[in-house]
Amino acid sequence: MLKDITFGQYFESNSFVHKLDPRSKLLLLILIIVSIFVAQNAFALSVVAIFIILSVFLSKIPIKMYLKNIKAILPIIIFTMIINLFYNASGTILISFWKLTITTGSIYRALYMSARILLLIISSAELTYTTTPNELTDAIEKLLAPLRFVGLKNAVHTLAMMMTIALRFIPTLIEETQKIMNAQKARGADLENGKLIERIKALVPILIPLLISSVRRAYELAEAMECRCYNGGEGRVRMKQLKYSISDYISFVVVLVVMAVVILINIFL
Amino acid sequence: MSILEVKNLTHTYDGNTPFMHDAVKNVSFSIEKGEVVGIIGHTGSGKSTLVQHLNGLLKASAGDVLLDGVNIWDNPKNIRSIRSRVGLVFQYPEYQLFEDSVYKDIAFGPKNMGLSEDEISARIKEICELVGIKQEYLEKSPFDLSGGEKRRVAIAGVMAMKPEIIIFDEPVAGLDPKGRNDVIKMISDYSKKYGSTVLIISHNMEDMALIADKLLVMNKGELALFDTTENVFKQYEFLKSIGLNVPIVTQVMLILKEMGVNLPDNIFTVDRAVEHLLNISNGGNCDA
Amino acid sequence: MDNIIEVKNVTFEYEDGSQKDIVLNNFSLDIKRGDFTVVLGHNGSGKSTLAKLLNGLYKPTSGQVLVDGISTTDEVTEIEIKRRVGLVFQNPDNQLVASIVEEDVAFGPENLGHSSDLIRQEVDEALKAVDMYEFRNSTPHRLSGGQKQRVAIAGIIAMKPDCIVLDEPTAMLDPKGRAEIISTIKKLNREYGITIVLITHFMEEAVDADRVIVMDNGNIVADSTPKNIFNNIDLLKQVGLDVPQTTELLFRLKQGGMNITTDVISIEESAKKIYNAIHLEEI
Repeated sequence: MLKDITFGQYFESNSFVHKLDPRSKLLLLILIIVSIFVAQNAFALSVVAIFIILSVFLSKIPIKMYLKNIKAILPIIIFTMIINLFYNASGTILISFWKLTITTGSIYRALYMSARILLLIISSAELTYTTTPNELTDAIEKLLAPLRFVGLKNAVHTLAMMMTIALRFIPTLIEETQKIMNAQKARGADLENGKLIERIKALVPILIPLLISSVRRAYELAEAMECRCYNGGEGRVRMKQLKYSISDYISFVVVLVVMAVVILINIFL
Repeated sequence: MSILEVKNLTHTYDGNTPFMHDAVKNVSFSIEKGEVVGIIGHTGSGKSTLVQHLNGLLKASAGDVLLDGVNIWDNPKNIRSIRSRVGLVFQYPEYQLFEDSVYKDIAFGPKNMGLSEDEISARIKEICELVGIKQEYLEKSPFDLSGGEKRRVAIAGVMAMKPEIIIFDEPVAGLDPKGRNDVIKMISDYSKKYGSTVLIISHNMEDMALIADKLLVMNKGELALFDTTENVFKQYEFLKSIGLNVPIVTQVMLILKEMGVNLPDNIFTVDRAVEHLLNISNGGNCDA
Repeated sequence: MDNIIEVKNVTFEYEDGSQKDIVLNNFSLDIKRGDFTVVLGHNGSGKSTLAKLLNGLYKPTSGQVLVDGISTTDEVTEIEIKRRVGLVFQNPDNQLVASIVEEDVAFGPENLGHSSDLIRQEVDEALKAVDMYEFRNSTPHRLSGGQKQRVAIAGIIAMKPDCIVLDEPTAMLDPKGRAEIISTIKKLNREYGITIVLITHFMEEAVDADRVIVMDNGNIVADSTPKNIFNNIDLLKQVGLDVPQTTELLFRLKQGGMNITTDVISIEESAKKIYNAIHLEEI
């Protein structure tokens, strides 16, 4: 669960994928997801799959990390397989019982659909393994920057600042919630038993102190930010500037080629 | 029989939860009824983790906690009744206040115990008299009080459950001298009146010298020493080696002793030091 | 030596609903450039309000606060004044903005619009000044209280301030964290020449100060060297201050008729003083 939101699932390494600009990684992931959905047959999908598998090796993340992620969504994959196994009825009938039939077409369909989900999971996991939430925040801020030309000048900065502060304070608030829960439990509060209404009522002694302390924190943080010359993002320069390098351009070319091949296979096969 | 007995308690840190607990390794000790025990050890030595086992907020990976000879986890459903018998006051307890009046906030614990309104009202009156919370404060919002007053109300909230054992985690942290004296006084008044056992976690050796009968020293999750305050503070070199210290006045006495002044090695309070030193300077007998 | 900060006849009122609270009344104080000044006072003596007035976070109800001769009410120079007079607060948790140490320290310089290369340099220097450079890629919630507070100080140093005001920076720390912060503050004053105003209720933190100011009820009740102030223990106790145990001991010996002064705090010096007093009387 929320083991450590600061680093999310980030797995430290010095691989080619880690070093890519987070903006590239975000955009490339979107392109890959589009490709997965565009691919209409097994051949096209295997081209995407080969690319993703290669990039997984490039990321130098242990395969067992990916397996952990896959395990978490295994029920969904199995459910998709079963539904598809009995749903599609094209091709020759292999097994038939009661009102259900399994055909060659349905087996193909089941494998194809679950492969799609698998690829989606693996590629998104790769992004979170190789990019810290901070880098993602910066990437989103930069990618949304053009919105300032349509009158959303402050909105983008505010959103990014909110995400930064949230990342900073979520661990603090989780810890604080735990402390308050323990303190109230020590006064005999019953948080585990009872009917729904009783359980909601039992949250009051936790939520009120948490709310009060959050307001106090927010107030103090605002003062501290003011003391550090914060002026709503006006004229702010970031220490870590995002820069596209040659690796980013190469990656874009490769992914665009993959997309083109997928589309060509769609058309000609 | 000891009121509290801890046997081979071990708490291994579970890396999968977002909440960090310091480890506790194979700790055993027993505490007699009515004793005031100080728990010392520097940050991360496992003090806070240890005390959260004593009222069942944490469950040990191995080992047992016996309250009056009975394992507190014998009947897991009864763990809430254990918490009213072993009160725990956390660090900065004023941050747990939530009701709109002081009365209601103090009543929270007794209410959870299922006491009648009359009983609750009688207890609050009794506790407030004991710890010096004025009657007119009871209808006030706890959030309108000063920092020191909030702390006293929060502590009274645990005392109103009349626990047989009451544990404090840094009860005077962040208070000014007056607030500190008030809190220390209310702790000793409570323990005297009800004969209850008190455990106090503190960094302040000077306070410990004044109130603790015994000291329990934690180091890296292990129990390093458990003895009378006097015997623990006599182990100056050892305490220093694990990053702790004896009261400042004792350190002064140790230097004077080294310089050749004839002083005993059990001076831990200013009162005693003044008594001995004035005696010496008046040319009197230092055994006084 | 010239004055970096001048507080001139400042009155500060605090409105709490319909009630008006006068925290400071016609208050004046000069802070000399390069000095290490300690302001002692118990909770509610008006010392936190004073801290926030010094960099313009609060504006005086009447009177003036001048930083390098510029009034803190001047809107044009508002940000420049906050850069020159940095403010460090009590709770380290509530003044860190970013979830990576170096990014947090960069926050101030980033707001000032420095170039990213310069910011990098300022951040590295600031982290080295507080001995936290090796933790630059760490996350604040994994640090100890003392370490977090040092990161907060680095965040101020990175803006190259002339003066740092610290409002009870050690109140929430354990003894180890407290010692870390006090030695960091002394280093910044001695080695970097930064003017320090340390606000605290721990008397022992004032031992190495150039000047000690004692506040009570919004007024200055004493203003002198640590030695002179510490010789007046009655006053410190009267205004509810924390007195270290060595001082308490010397004070009680003096009351008991020993010929001794109470102007030292360190354990060694106190022992020496007592030793001399005992032997003088024997002779």
